[in-house]
Amino acid sequence: MEHWHKFVSRYLWIAPHIFLVAVPVAMYVRRLNKTFPLFFFYTLYEICQFLLLFGIYLLAPTHAILYQYVFVVALAGSAALRFGVMQEVFNHVFHDYPRLESFAADAMRWLTGFLLVAAILSAIYSSGSAPDHLLAGVALLDRSVAIIQAGMLLFLFVTARMFGLTSRSFAFGIALGFGLLAATDLAVWALRLSGSNLPLVKFLNLLLTGGFHITVLVWMGYLLAVEKPSNAASYAVPELEQWSGELERSQ
Amino acid sequence: MNTELVFVLIAVGLLVSFGYLGVRRAKGSPDLGQAVAAIQSLDIEAFRNLVDPDEEAFLRTRLPLEEFRTLRRERVHAALAYVNELSRASLQFARLGDAAKRSSDPAVAASGREIANDAIFLRMLALNARVRLTLAAFFPGLDTSSVHPLIDRYSQAAGLLQDLTGRAQEMREPV
Repeated sequence: MEHWHKFVSRYLWIAPHIFLVAVPVAMYVRRLNKTFPLFFFYTLYEICQFLLLFGIYLLAPTHAILYQYVFVVALAGSAALRFGVMQEVFNHVFHDYPRLESFAADAMRWLTGFLLVAAILSAIYSSGSAPDHLLAGVALLDRSVAIIQAGMLLFLFVTARMFGLTSRSFAFGIALGFGLLAATDLAVWALRLSGSNLPLVKFLNLLLTGGFHITVLVWMGYLLAVEKPSNAASYAVPELEQWSGELERSQ
Repeated sequence: MNTELVFVLIAVGLLVSFGYLGVRRAKGSPDLGQAVAAIQSLDIEAFRNLVDPDEEAFLRTRLPLEEFRTLRRERVHAALAYVNELSRASLQFARLGDAAKRSSDPAVAASGREIANDAIFLRMLALNARVRLTLAAFFPGLDTSSVHPLIDRYSQAAGLLQDLTGRAQEMREPV
């Protein structure tokens, strides 16, 4: 059992980062690094972070404190970058639709405020069971970020669905990946509240890394799925263009 | 129910939602014919009449209060059915515009962007009208005339579409 767990946990730690290498490479080949520069940087950051932590683990296995500090600093950077990437995704999805963009911006302001309050309330009502102050702080930061990000991403998907925007573009792939990651974070944290015995903690750690693995696969899937230019609507466009023009003039 | 269970349920709900969004495939290509049929099938004059403040004032003076309230609620529900249909039609147009926006032809893509923008605005007006009418169904004192911008915009779209589809039909018929 122990052997099995060790194998799975190593796999889930290493494999997603190997797969992740393909994401910036594919983005570069498809020139998506210019459309999503922050996400491109984020993937490189995650790979470097992994190499650094894995290097410490291999070369200095007795320096647990060093590992912990590097982990915490890297996690804070990762959380900040994720917010930047989300802003990038929102801009990309809505920038072609000025009316929707202003509506979404207003709604987002309210939603962010509401989610901040939810994150603060969750911090007040649940202390968790972290072994020291540093880890407790990290857990709190991670959970608050997950609450805010999950809410914002759900809003993005609901708005897109409400107004008929396609969810097949890479922007939605990025959002879906982060959404799954944030939801897994929240699920793991919520399950941790219910107990902290060793087998449960081990299982939850696997769930976290497994969530990241699925996220990377989602990004790869969206990158590999070719977004074909639409021909279906073309035949109707001259008529629709006139419709649009008339409406424009009548404003 | 304890706090932990609530958090677990919320997290699992989110996970399921994102999982569903991941595996769900968008419905087939948007159909212009369906959208046009939907938008043309609405009787705009009947819709306008349902939210006409003058008509409402007239009914108010002629009917006993209880009867007026019942009738007004029925009229608001009928208007809501119109708004829902219009909302669905504008969604079809938004999807069509969004699909055209991704065309490899820059002119088609630019048109798609404009069409989607207009359709999105129409849908925003429809959603706004839906909220106002739903409130009006519960609070009879609320004014329903704010639905008029939606009707005006809808009238323009429907009239134009009628012309366009008529012309398209003529072009398809053999001479």
